[in-house]
Amino acid sequence: MKIASKLQLAGAGVILLVLPHVAGPYWTNLLNDMGLYTILGLSLNLILGQAGLFHMGHTAFYAVGAYTTAILATKFDVPILWTMPLSGLLAGLFALLAARPVIHLRGDYLLVVTIGIVEIVRITLVNNVFGLTGGSNGLLIVNPISIFGFEIFRPIHFYYLILALAVITIILFYLLHNSRFGRALNYIKHDELAAESSGINTTHYKLSVFALGAVWAGMLGTIFAAKIETVSPQSFSYSESVLLFAIVILGGPGSIPGVLLGAFLITGLPELFRELQSFRLLLFGAAMVAMMIFRPQGLIPPRRRVYDVQKYLARFPCAISSRVPNSGAGTAGTPAPNPSTAGAE
Amino acid sequence: MKKIVALCVALLILPALSAFAANIKIGLMAPLTGSYASEGADMRRVVELLAEELNNKGGVNGSKIEIIVQDDGSDVKTAASAAQRLATSEVCAVIGTYGSAVTESAQNIYNRNKILHVATGSTSVRLSEKGFPYFFRTCPRDDEQGLVATSTLHKFGYKNIAILHDNTAYAVGLAEEIKAGLEKAGTAKIVAYDALQPNERDYSAILTRLRGAAPDVIFFTGYYPEAAMLLRQMREIGWKIPMYGGDATNNSDLIKIGGASVVAGFRLISPPMPGDLNSKAAADFILAYTNKYRAVPSSIWSVLAGDAFKVIVEAIGKTGSTDADKMADYLHTKLNNFEGLTGAISFDAKGDRVGDLYRLYEVNSRGEFVLQ
Amino acid sequence: MIEFFQQFTNGLAVGGIYALIALGYTMVYGVLKLINFAHGDLFTFGSYLGMTFLISFALSGALPPVLAVVIMFLMVMGCVALSGYLLEKAAYLPLRHTPRLTAVVSALGASIFLQNAIMLFYGPNYEVYPDSLRISSSVNLLGLDVPVMRIIMLSISILLMLALYFFTQKTKLGTAIRAVATDQAAARLMGIDVNRIISLVFMIGPALGGAAGVLLGLYYGQIRYDMGTMYGLKAFIAAIIGGIGNIPGAMLGGMLLGVLEAMGAAYISPAWKDALAFLILIIILIFRPTGILGERTAEKI
Repeated sequence: MKIASKLQLAGAGVILLVLPHVAGPYWTNLLNDMGLYTILGLSLNLILGQAGLFHMGHTAFYAVGAYTTAILATKFDVPILWTMPLSGLLAGLFALLAARPVIHLRGDYLLVVTIGIVEIVRITLVNNVFGLTGGSNGLLIVNPISIFGFEIFRPIHFYYLILALAVITIILFYLLHNSRFGRALNYIKHDELAAESSGINTTHYKLSVFALGAVWAGMLGTIFAAKIETVSPQSFSYSESVLLFAIVILGGPGSIPGVLLGAFLITGLPELFRELQSFRLLLFGAAMVAMMIFRPQGLIPPRRRVYDVQKYLARFPCAISSRVPNSGAGTAGTPAPNPSTAGAE
Repeated sequence: MKKIVALCVALLILPALSAFAANIKIGLMAPLTGSYASEGADMRRVVELLAEELNNKGGVNGSKIEIIVQDDGSDVKTAASAAQRLATSEVCAVIGTYGSAVTESAQNIYNRNKILHVATGSTSVRLSEKGFPYFFRTCPRDDEQGLVATSTLHKFGYKNIAILHDNTAYAVGLAEEIKAGLEKAGTAKIVAYDALQPNERDYSAILTRLRGAAPDVIFFTGYYPEAAMLLRQMREIGWKIPMYGGDATNNSDLIKIGGASVVAGFRLISPPMPGDLNSKAAADFILAYTNKYRAVPSSIWSVLAGDAFKVIVEAIGKTGSTDADKMADYLHTKLNNFEGLTGAISFDAKGDRVGDLYRLYEVNSRGEFVLQ
Repeated sequence: MIEFFQQFTNGLAVGGIYALIALGYTMVYGVLKLINFAHGDLFTFGSYLGMTFLISFALSGALPPVLAVVIMFLMVMGCVALSGYLLEKAAYLPLRHTPRLTAVVSALGASIFLQNAIMLFYGPNYEVYPDSLRISSSVNLLGLDVPVMRIIMLSISILLMLALYFFTQKTKLGTAIRAVATDQAAARLMGIDVNRIISLVFMIGPALGGAAGVLLGLYYGQIRYDMGTMYGLKAFIAAIIGGIGNIPGAMLGGMLLGVLEAMGAAYISPAWKDALAFLILIIILIFRPTGILGERTAEKI
């Protein structure tokens, strides 16, 4: 089993590595879009899926990142890749500022406020504040990304860049999911009040996850800016946010494989059915409704967190094992090994 | 088994054979959906009609022309991916598109992929100021439009002028040109300079605001749907001052939305309308178009797409090549007063069309655009 | 000063439309705690239906204009109410007991579906109401130029709102709606058929939205398949400002939003109008999370 899954992983890796050479530039370009949405979806998943915050304004953070890059690259001639940390930082900072006053809002209220944030950001960009954003034309990036003198501008170059980022993102977010932080988020999602009572500073955690998701979206904005070359307000509209939201919800909120599948379906399928051009959005809408009715948990819901109590107890042989005759009653007599596992699924 | 092998071989050879008598592929990027969908539909009809005529005559240099259409969705993002798609589908040249911002997002992609790019309705000045060697356009530029607008306003003796744009690339550019022109001339005062939000219905708030500034004329640099709504609501609040528009108000939908009685008296600066073109080429074209589609093109922009097609074919024919460098060189230096549908076409070093094309039109009470 | 009052009337006209649409949001939210994102598109649908009836049934020619308009209003409200009913049965009923998020996504999906259905059927371009029914003159009220159409439009929307208000306050059915909004379980124990009431709400709300669509078409003349998104969002903001779930709140919120927008366009900048609407929303939510007329309730645990 272990070996088989390792083989599967290796096989998938090989396929992903050679795919753009087989697919040609047109399909590679599509794969790149898919990759971007995947990473964006993963970063939104932290907020929406892990912490359960109704956040439909992710493109605002993405926009801050993309515009940071575009402004630095066009007005100050900063090499594009160097702007990436700053893009992330500014997006994170913006998220903190924007989310701080509204973080206590619940459910639908937060949803509408985050839509508002997207629209306010978009209108600010259109109105060319301080003459920096270029109004509705946006900004045009002329110089490509260069890594040690190697210029990235063809779809296939971007493919490997995005693939690398996606792999890093998946690994990091997987670790995060299984960390204390990740468990705390899940706790907040399932029962905020109980989480608060168990000593979790919910506001702190909610703000942190907002900032973290935003940093990621901001950094991705850099790549998006370099790829699309024209950074304009139209790319950061409300409907784009809806799309991202749908990726996470359809795939399975809180589940990394779910988001991967969601991004693949939502960005890939409409492209495959280009022939049906005008019908594809109609079908897309109908599919969203149908999905929610038949699989309300998403296509690949997150796995329940499973903890092997026996194994945990085995680490303290003298203290506990004598008092616990069988594993079923294990938790009863012991102090809770980790308070935040209690509420998590 | 043998049969299957033979079939496979045949299948492999077939595309190779057809590639031998290769069609020349020309891309058309047009707004088939979105706000300017009616422009896009016309562009497609015009270009497909001309391609069909040419192919019936045997094509160019013995090759047929194949038009590959991509929808730019009237927006920047869709256009960028449409351009990527065209760039990867082996076209030698691309025609289009209508909106300036939309064209701009695609420009870079064509330039990098060495594809000849002839824009058709994008009049924003900055498009040709970037030094892209493969970029051309068959439409005039906004600085020329700005000059004509300024001199028209001057000619009719307006003293207090309100300028209104809609924050789109094109409208802002034109508004700035007019503002600069008026400030330079110094004969009239700009009493208001504002932006509205396109794709809305109620513009009474902004009209009331403008009215407070007491202009004798409004110049609106945006597109036809908003122009029609502005005119309607001016009528409703009983505000009777003349309104002028830029070339993006040149579309028959202006009348449809506003109603002929309301729009009557509206004046606009525009290249000549299809019906006012008086060359033989234009007359033949309008006849052929009317025969095929039972209507005349609804605006000049689609006819300019036809011109783009014609100059591309001319460049392919004269250079005997589909190499972008050769074609661009030919268009820059050798093409001189080529007879297009909208008159003689030559390009300057930046790829802009040489010559003055702008005219003043007025809408009459039957809802027709009349050349002044 | 004249300009200020002129802007005030401009704002009221837009606010009347917002308020009518907001009623649909607020009623549905009241009973189901669901943002019916498809409501804006039902409004668009009403607008297109009105146009179709006017043109294809030649209502405008055969009957006296006033009668024609009344008949058209009733037909549109009936049709949109029916589609609201079907929408609830298809997209929301199966999700009554799932997490809230799923219903939100279902609503978004329904919105995309409806919008594209309208686009496929009627085309992506601007459509125009026949001009014959419009009165394009204006009257002078206390020194203000007020278009006659605007007065008619505002009176119809106020009339509809009042009718709804008395319906929910004075009739038995209206009381049942309020009971379901307050506490579904208790209402069920009192013998109220909760499902029937929810269906009823999903008919009344869209019917008013459809009426707003027709008013918009008659007044502005020009409609488009995607207009529901922005009007819907604005109306939802209006509902929250007024206090969601609260019927007079939706009316107040709509009018207030319309007037504030007009003032913003007049005295700040027209290009920032929409941003201003969202900003007002955020400010109100920070300082009064339940809206102006909303009651502060203890969070249920």
